[in-house]
Order: sequence, then structure tokens, then C-alpha cells
Amino acid sequence: MHAALGLSRLIDGVTTVIGKSVIWLIFAAILISAINAVTRKLWSLSSNSWLEAQWYLFGAAFMLGAAYTLKENEHIRIDIFYGSRSRRVQHWIDLFGHVVFLLPFVTLMAWMLWPYWIDAFRSGQVSTNAGGLLIWPARAILFAGFALLVLQAVSEIIKKIAIMRDLIPDSNPFISPAEQAAQGVQDITDGAEVRK
Amino acid sequence: MMELIAQNMAPIIFTSLVIFLLLGYPVAFSLAANGLIFFAIGVWLAPYSSGTITLDWPLLYTMPQRLWGVMSNETLLAIPFFTFMGIVLERSGMAEDLLDTVGQLFGPIRGGLAFAVVLVGALLAATTGVVAASVIAMGLISLPIMLRYGYDRKVATGVITASGTLAQIIPPSLVLIVLADQLGKSVGDMYRGALYPALILAGVYMGYVAMIAIFRPHMVPALPLEARTLGGGVTSLLVALAVAVGIGYLSHYWFYEAWGANADVLGATLGIAAIYAFALADRVLKLNLLSRLASQVIMVLIPPLALVFLVLGTIFIGLATPTEGGAMGAVGAMAMAAAKGRFQMPLLNQALVSTLRLSSFVMFVLIGARVFSLTFYGVNGHIWVEHLLTGVPGGQYGFLLVVNIIIFILGFFIDFFEIAFILIPLIAPVADKMGIDLIWLGVIIGMNLQTSFLTPPFGFALFYLRSVAAKVPYLDRITGKNIAEIKTSEIYKGAIPFIGLQVLMICAVVAFPQLVMHYKGPMVDPSTVEIKVPMLNTLNPGGAPSLGAPSLGVPQLGAPVINP
Repeated sequence: MHAALGLSRLIDGVTTVIGKSVIWLIFAAILISAINAVTRKLWSLSSNSWLEAQWYLFGAAFMLGAAYTLKENEHIRIDIFYGSRSRRVQHWIDLFGHVVFLLPFVTLMAWMLWPYWIDAFRSGQVSTNAGGLLIWPARAILFAGFALLVLQAVSEIIKKIAIMRDLIPDSNPFISPAEQAAQGVQDITDGAEVRK
Repeated sequence: MMELIAQNMAPIIFTSLVIFLLLGYPVAFSLAANGLIFFAIGVWLAPYSSGTITLDWPLLYTMPQRLWGVMSNETLLAIPFFTFMGIVLERSGMAEDLLDTVGQLFGPIRGGLAFAVVLVGALLAATTGVVAASVIAMGLISLPIMLRYGYDRKVATGVITASGTLAQIIPPSLVLIVLADQLGKSVGDMYRGALYPALILAGVYMGYVAMIAIFRPHMVPALPLEARTLGGGVTSLLVALAVAVGIGYLSHYWFYEAWGANADVLGATLGIAAIYAFALADRVLKLNLLSRLASQVIMVLIPPLALVFLVLGTIFIGLATPTEGGAMGAVGAMAMAAAKGRFQMPLLNQALVSTLRLSSFVMFVLIGARVFSLTFYGVNGHIWVEHLLTGVPGGQYGFLLVVNIIIFILGFFIDFFEIAFILIPLIAPVADKMGIDLIWLGVIIGMNLQTSFLTPPFGFALFYLRSVAAKVPYLDRITGKNIAEIKTSEIYKGAIPFIGLQVLMICAVVAFPQLVMHYKGPMVDPSTVEIKVPMLNTLNPGGAPSLGAPSLGVPQLGAPVINP
């Protein structure tokens, strides 16, 4: 278990670093889109590569950020049943879901996406739009996103078992929507302090 | 037995989906797993299904292409852009400034604070599009003032939560983007279609407040004059306004020469810019030509209005795509926050992290839905749904009634993203076959989903107000009076009249499709009109669909029916 927890910490560390870095890709996408919109109107300067770059960047952000979102327990649930269970039952539901729902799905997708990007890489395929970008980097990101999710799923399973055996504290407990709202208020009022 | 199961796969899959989702595991992965598990079962059962199951293993290999489709979806790029814009504005203090100032302006009339809340709610909706932002700001700023001067508690809480949810239906709301994407329509058309119903809804709220002010004046008292810290000076505001309108009107003629149809927009821009520049000069040079109130109103109101123009105006006059509008809005929001000295690294970081989390979970719900739909369509699930829905008596009305009741009830328990990604793709093709305009359907559903933010006990707007409203009695610091806490039941009861108004508005949109249908615009290609017009006269006696516009026996004022 000790070694497994070490592995889990390593995976969490990697996904967190990646998750916190890819936020800047969203920022870049915003700037590119805004600049592209202005130059397109004012000087008719635009190219498909800039349009494609926007969704490449956003795609990279949400695909590579998915594992981090999973780690932070931010993927949305329907909590009408879940929310009213004891923490013990919630753990069992999570463990069941990680093993039966999540891990097979992301593993299968990663496995299918590997040849999908390799093919594009070998053939040097380019987008069919005039001036379009190379296709393989975006496909590689699609694969990488699912590969990270496989790792994160393994980490979540390890952590869940450890939590259920009281080996580590329960770091990201479920919070009800009402508590989430209170949390949101906290964030905004914190923001208010930040700006003073 | 095998045959029976194989031929009823669609209802079995749907039922098990409901069970999987209710378990409470994250929706994105439950959806995907449900799809994959039943894909395997479906392939195994296919030989027994007498052709209703069309699944086989090679079909599964289309999955990478489907994932690629989700990733390369340019419409959904607008989601992170508008989310980021909303979060930056929410943290920039714009809501607080607006509520303070507009509250001062309207406070001294009966029901004035409630009017201010609706107005600011609508303006915030058109800029931030975030329910949380509006409700929190109003709960922190307007609610204590309303309680201080003796507003009825249910009216006060109801008007705040309802105005906050306007963000869901007034463009550029995320709901409308997702709906447009799932209905296969353009976001711009969806915005155009939703605009009037949304504004009318805000108007209906104001009308409701006005009725209370007339018939139950003690529930919405006017603020005493000493509460006006900005002083009077409405006259100079009116003068300023008149000057702005004058400049706008005159320059409109001048612009008309060069710019044609867009002249009124340009004229309005010039008028507003002129008055803003004047207010700015007045303040910087200390001329004191404007009253403090007028100067404050102009300085606070114009930047958000300019932002609304930058985003919605450019989309509506066709200068920018909704995605570009979102990106320019995001840049504008950063500029506004920077002008207030509130755009700093922690804020940017926080806004980007929140945007990433939201985008990631939304896009993964979509991915899950795409995996699910591969299986569901493979067992002819869409045909099963179509039979269910077309079996409803009452044609279009019956269909709309059933769909709306389903969505209304689901809205109590589940988030609009799930409804949009799971249900809309099933409903839309059926609606299309019945001759229902999809934008019209989208606006109706958008209105309906908005209600889910307001319905106890799971409405999000209610949660947000609950977490900022006083939970214990407190001493008001201005009057020194003891003010009782806000009970959760008061928040719930306060929302109910507004839920009623929303349901009324849904009915109004159903009854008067032209509120939405004007999105098609009066310009119709003459060639198509010439072909269709004879059909209108001969084959269309009882209100059958004409020109793709649902005519439900009401005059189609906004629909493109043009007499040659």
C-alpha cells in the first residue's frame, strides 16, 4: 500500500502541474480569437490556421485539464441519491464507479486513440481547410488527455481504498450544492480582498 | 426471451442510464460506461433482434472520430470565452457599483429598489451571464437596504433570485450556446430569437413590482431622502440624457449616408461616447456642471453598456461571430477590471482555473453523451423516442407540453448541461419532423431551464441567496433597528410568484411564436417567396407549417411570410 500511495502522489503531482499550466492555453485562445476578430474586420487579415489554433488550444486545455478536474472532484454528479448517503456509502459508490465506469472507458479510449494519432503523425496529415494546421498534435493531445485520465483513475482508486481503510485523510469530500454555493461566495469575497 | 430483450433494448438502456446517473457517480463517465456496456451487450444480442440492433464491433472504431468531432467543435469555444468574461466581471466589483448607483437613482420611488434589482439583473445578465454573480451581489448589497427600510421579505428575496436567473436566458448565456449547438442551429440566431422573450420577461418582473407598488405599497416602501448619499440632481441627468439622444439622433442622419442600415447603432454609440467623455471631463476638470448623481450614473452605467454593445451588438449586426464576441468581451472585461485597478495576477489565475474546470466537465459530459448516443442510436433508440413523442395527442402543442413538463421536472434534480446533452438530441429530430422551428423550441426550453434555477429545494439561485443572506438576527448599522434573519422558507416562498411569471412567459412564447421567429429577419430571398406563396394560398388552409415556420393559428407577424 505504501508504494501504491507513493505512485498515487506522483500521479497527482503530474496531473496538478499539467492542470495548472494548461489554464494559460485558454488565455492564449482568448487573445488569439480577439486579435483575429479585429484584424479580420479591419485589414481582412485572417487565416484558417488562427481559427484552428483556437480550438487546438481550448481542446488541449480541457483534455489535459480533465484529469486535474477529476482529482479535484469537480466532474458534475446528480446528487439527489448520493448526497443523502453516509460518507461510507459514497466511498463505495465512488470506488465502484472508478473501477467499473471510469477505468474501462478511459483505457479503451486511450487504446483506440493511440493508432489514431500515430497514423496522422506518420502520414503528416494536414487539415483540409486552406492554410490549416498539422492534424497530429491535436490528436496526440486527445490521446494524452485520456492517458492522463487512466493514470488519474488508478490514483483515485488507490486513494479511495486508502481512505476507506483510514490510511489517509479524506481530502476532497463531496460537498452539496448548497455548500458549493457558500464556497463560491467565499471565492468571490476572497477576490474582493485580493483587489484591495 | 432473448428476442424480447433484444427487441426492447432502447427502453432497457434508457432505464439503466437513469439508474446509473442516479447512483451519483460523475455524469460524464456514467454516460460513457452505460454506452460501452450496452454496446457489448448489443453486439451480442444483435442476431436475436430481427434487425432492430445495428451494432457491430467495427462501429466502435468510429469513436476516435466522434471524440475528434467534440474537440474540433468551434461553437463550443464560446463557452470558455463567456465563462472567463463572466468570472472576471464578477470579481471586478461592477455588480456592486451598479447596484449602489441604480439603487440611489430609483430608491426614492415606491418599489424603486426592486426596479433597480431587476434592471441591474438584466444588465449583469447581458454582460456576466453568471447567476451566482448577480445573486451574490444583490444579496450582499440590495437585500440589507431593502430589509432596513421595511420591504416585504418575500418580495425582496424573490425579486433578487428571479433577477439573478435572468442570466440564463438573456444573451450571451451559456445555456443558449449549448442549446444552439445541440439543436444544430447558429448561436447568433439563438441569441436573436431569445432576445425579445428575455427582455419581456425582465419587463414582466418590473410590471409585477409595479403592481405591488400600486396595490400593496407597504410591501415596497420608498427610501427616505436621507438614504440618498449621492444627493439629488435628476435634472442634470435628464439633460445629459437628452443631449446624448440628440447627438445620437442627428449623427444618425450623417452616418446614414455612408453606413446605411447600421447608422442607428453608430449614432447611438457616438451619443453615448460623447456623454461619457463629457462626464469624464467634468469629473477630471472639476467643472461640476453635472450633479454628483448624474455623473455617477453615467460613469457607472456606460462601461457595462459599452461592453454589451461590444459583445451582443457586434454579434447582432453581424460584425463578429459569437465566439469572437465572447473573446472580445473577455478582453473588454479585463480592460474594465484593469481600469478599476482590480485586474491582478491572483484574479486572472482564479478566473482561468474556474474556467478550465467548468469547460472540462462540460466537454466531458458531451463526450460521455457522444459515447452513449453511438449505442443508443445503434439500437434504434431514436425511433423508440420518436414513437413515444409522436404518440402524444395534440400535435405540436401536445408535444411541447409533454417536453416542457419533462424538462421542468428534470430541472428540479439535474443540471441544464445534462439535459441539453442527453435529452435535446433525442427531442430535436422529432420536433423538426413535426415542423417545429428549432430556434423557437430552443428558446422555450431555455426559458424552462431557467426556471430550474429558481425552483425549491435545488434551485441554485436560492442556494446563493441563502449563503449570503443573514442567518441570524442582526443590528442594522444605520437605523440601529434589530433585523430578523432571513428564513430559508422565506426565500422559497419569495421565488414562487416569479416561477409563476416564468411559466406564464413560456406559455406566451408558445402562443406567440413571432416573439422568436423574427430572428429570420424580414429579408427573404424573393425567389423562394415566389415559389412558396401559391402554396400558402392553396395548400395552407388550417395553419399547416409554412416556410418552415410553425404557424399555430396565430398571425405570423415576424415570420417571413411576404406578400409579393
